[in-house]
Amino acid sequence: MGSISLKNAGMVVLTICAIGFIFKPKPPVQSYPDREKVRFWHMWSGEWKDVIDKIVLRFNQSQDKYELIALSIPSGASTKFLMGVAGGNPPDVMAQWEQVIPTWAESGLIQDLRPLMTPDEYEMFDREAYPLVKKIGMYKGKLYGVTTGINISGIYYRPDFFREVGLDPDQFPKTLEEIDAIAPKLDVWDKDKQLKRIGWLSPNWTSLAPAFGGGFYDWEAGKLTLDRPENVRALEYMVNSRKRLGFDRVVRFQSGYGSDFGAAWSFIGGAQAIQMDGMWRIEQIGKYAPKLEYRVTQMPPPKGGVPLSGSTGGNFMIIPTGAKNPKGAAAFLKFWSGIDNPERAAEFYTWGGWLPLYPRVTNAKIYQDYLKKYPQYRPMLAMMDSQHVDPSPPVIIQQFLMDKINQKQDLALRGVVSPAQAVKDLTREVNEELGRRRKLGYAE
Amino acid sequence: MATQNSRLSRGSRSAFGLTLGQRWMVHICLLIMCIPAILPALWMVSTSLKSNADITGSSGTSISIKDLIPQQLHGENYTSALTAVPFDIYLQNTLMLCLISVIGAVGSSAVVAYGFARIPFRGKGFWFSLMIATMALPGQVTMVPVFALFKALGWYGTFLPLIVPAFFGSAFYVFLLSQFFKTLPEEMAESARVDGASEWTIFTRVVLPLSKSALATCALFQFLGVWNDFLGPLLYLNDPRQYTVGYGLQQFLSAFGSRWAELMAATTVFTLPIIVLFFFAQKTFIQGISTTGGK
Repeated sequence: MGSISLKNAGMVVLTICAIGFIFKPKPPVQSYPDREKVRFWHMWSGEWKDVIDKIVLRFNQSQDKYELIALSIPSGASTKFLMGVAGGNPPDVMAQWEQVIPTWAESGLIQDLRPLMTPDEYEMFDREAYPLVKKIGMYKGKLYGVTTGINISGIYYRPDFFREVGLDPDQFPKTLEEIDAIAPKLDVWDKDKQLKRIGWLSPNWTSLAPAFGGGFYDWEAGKLTLDRPENVRALEYMVNSRKRLGFDRVVRFQSGYGSDFGAAWSFIGGAQAIQMDGMWRIEQIGKYAPKLEYRVTQMPPPKGGVPLSGSTGGNFMIIPTGAKNPKGAAAFLKFWSGIDNPERAAEFYTWGGWLPLYPRVTNAKIYQDYLKKYPQYRPMLAMMDSQHVDPSPPVIIQQFLMDKINQKQDLALRGVVSPAQAVKDLTREVNEELGRRRKLGYAE
Repeated sequence: MATQNSRLSRGSRSAFGLTLGQRWMVHICLLIMCIPAILPALWMVSTSLKSNADITGSSGTSISIKDLIPQQLHGENYTSALTAVPFDIYLQNTLMLCLISVIGAVGSSAVVAYGFARIPFRGKGFWFSLMIATMALPGQVTMVPVFALFKALGWYGTFLPLIVPAFFGSAFYVFLLSQFFKTLPEEMAESARVDGASEWTIFTRVVLPLSKSALATCALFQFLGVWNDFLGPLLYLNDPRQYTVGYGLQQFLSAFGSRWAELMAATTVFTLPIIVLFFFAQKTFIQGISTTGGK
């Protein structure tokens, strides 16, 4: 009987708490009721969301016509977008970084942004934007996405580890072969023959292939080039790099780090001596390990390979076809990217640690001051003008292609297939998919 | 005397004829078998009380009994997790949705189930089969038309798409409850009819009070469904002040995926109400499951 009373009392308390929560008033929303609403969806969260909120606030304060209402959708953003479009209620502007432009453009879900720009603005964009900015946003000659931040990877290395094994950190290797030669010295093993520190682990296939003179797309001819012998050589290099350490050991070692954001990044923890990673790490090191001694340089090519090469991606803005306020969306897009005022936009790039669209943004005083604080960005900035830094090929099966490239890379690294076979399988499967689409009458 | 001895002997044996010692052995074995099942939950709570540095070292994340005990308790992980995103607002919204949709789903399903179980009408078998067939229809198939419908009704961006469908019954609950209603003696309804009770009175005064366990089972399922729902809030809600706990946890996961301690603290808080609810409703729930054939 006593226990029943206790349960009942517990249920009453829980019910009271639940009712209290349910009817607790919510804080009011600050807004500009007289302005035109512009709905902006993005995928940033956590600390990044704070940066976006700052930019949104700055936009709303900069003019009195539009009110930008931002919504962070870190998971399922594409699903929500597609449902919004199908249901006739898409956002006015959306920030994306997934492989969506070819598919969405071909399906008529997003609109060409050129008509939303003045001729002068478009001419300035076309003339001044870094080549890879245009590569990311263009599809079949139309501008579907305006890049607001470029991601470029570089080599991060630890001078303290170099000195520890008797290497000169000022003399970083000039070729991949030279890195391979010093890497074993930088590896650290425990008594159970498990890795404690990795000297050097090659980056992924898409970053390596251009350095070997290969790549998966011919940008001039507008064609896929999957079966180039250089692509096979790049994959062979990756396989050999893993063989030195043992594939299982590397997997076990890496799985210990899981998602290595911020302070948990393996490089900060000293688990890797030389590591290829994105430029956003510079800001993170500044925040989480400001006293860490590290340097950044460009990835050296293999002997006889192509310098200043690699892969890239970026955040870009798209405007859905059914957007209710495309002009307001375009105003925000220009505001952030700096199409109408590069000097003003420079500040945003220092908040997010992104690389800018234009040399004019890069050369703005505020960004130059930022570079003085973080000179580590300079090697990455030097790659912005390169013609050998490529984003994902702009083909209709972009996501399928990238999934297949990653899948074949994994199979080769695990030793399931040889690199040559992996390239052969990749080519065959991609051609089969293109053939299937052709047969069904889908766009190519 | 012999009878007394026999009773004493029976008293020290269980229903399966096991002695006290044997029962101890069985319980120890069962406890050992429980360890793999409970380990993830223990790891979750243990991790939520550690520092991030304690969780991952150079050897990475590991699960061992020794590692389950935090060297130092870090209760601040909970404060940090609960202030990183407005969980109080999410909880408020979720409880509201749970409460209303549980009432709607259980109430409407019970009415329909009673009709199928007790009221004869033409084509009953066909309509019941058709209703059961809707359970085989994946949500993805109806997602777009349902979204367009709610949009046309002007419900997009409100809680209504998450609440109103619950008031139109659920095929699963209707099936579950109708099976239960069929097990109740028809004579009770007959005697009520003789006393002049209407069908509605029989339903509310006779059948429902006898079906508490089955109703509680449906309520719990509905509560769990709404509590864990991610897709519904993702598609229909556009104001962060409307977000629910399930959606908020996903958001937290994306934002702080590598901050294991805070992530596990948030997950513990997220899971706790379900455990508490199950603790209170355990007996009724199990009774409901076993009597409706939903084993």
